[in-house]
Amino acid sequence: MGRFAAGLRVGLLAGTAAVALVPELRRLSRSWSSRVAVVETSMLPTLRPGDWLLVDPDAYRRRTPDAGDIVVVSDPREPDRLLVKRVVGVGPDGRLDLLGDDPSASTDSREFGPVEPSAVQGRPWARYWPPRRWGSLG
Amino acid sequence: MLRRRFLAAIAPRRMAHAHCDIPCGIYDPAPAQIAARTVSRMVELIGQNTGDDVASRNKFARCVQVKETHAENVKREIQIIWSDYFKPEHVEQFPELHDLTWKILKQAGACKQSVDAAAAAELERLVARFTEIFWATKGKPVHTMAAAAEGTALNAIAWEVK
Repeated sequence: MGRFAAGLRVGLLAGTAAVALVPELRRLSRSWSSRVAVVETSMLPTLRPGDWLLVDPDAYRRRTPDAGDIVVVSDPREPDRLLVKRVVGVGPDGRLDLLGDDPSASTDSREFGPVEPSAVQGRPWARYWPPRRWGSLG
Repeated sequence: MLRRRFLAAIAPRRMAHAHCDIPCGIYDPAPAQIAARTVSRMVELIGQNTGDDVASRNKFARCVQVKETHAENVKREIQIIWSDYFKPEHVEQFPELHDLTWKILKQAGACKQSVDAAAAAELERLVARFTEIFWATKGKPVHTMAAAAEGTALNAIAWEVK
């Protein structure tokens, strides 16, 4: 046996790895289409102006964001504009309390109140530019 | 060229605002750069001024006075950006910041005391470095006076590529 069994085993392993990679690649592909550039400073020190982020638009299709998540959300006062903020609380009605990581220089739920989960446009999960700051956003 | 095209290709099409309603101060190291350049120019003019007539002596006095004023302007402009604009995370990112600021303030003083082209050039060099750090913390390409022609905001260009 030997050779055939070993070949089969390698083939199965490679097949499993490929199947496991498919969802990741699809997430990468849809996140690439939804990538955003950070402007302004209310998310310092986590996000700096000039950071370019991958945003998964499907991340919250099946679940609502948790406290601690960073979200890209339509500005409730100006729906064509995207905001990036951190969720700090989820109310009993499911609405989200947003706060900037630099609260001293941020306009957020303290000003415009909690936002509907339907306003969330996606989850920024990785920074791809600048190269020095490349990596996952946790 | 190639870098610019690459960046335009990978640049996001949309912006996400880490927004704040309250306007932050407008800061720009350009006045400090102009003041430092003026100090250098005055050192040149003072060196060329050898006449002993009243007109020459008048011009000499004026050049010294302008040098004094602009060296003081460098100190003031740099000190404002250092104390009012920079935040602790900027210092973390650029640990040289405090020492660099201190050196600029010292060097401006040295330029008042002397008529020394090398000292004035050193002042310009330090202010240029300060300017680089300033724009780096804004996430924008360096916008020094020397690089002004080339330094159109790359990010802005990238964002506008639709």
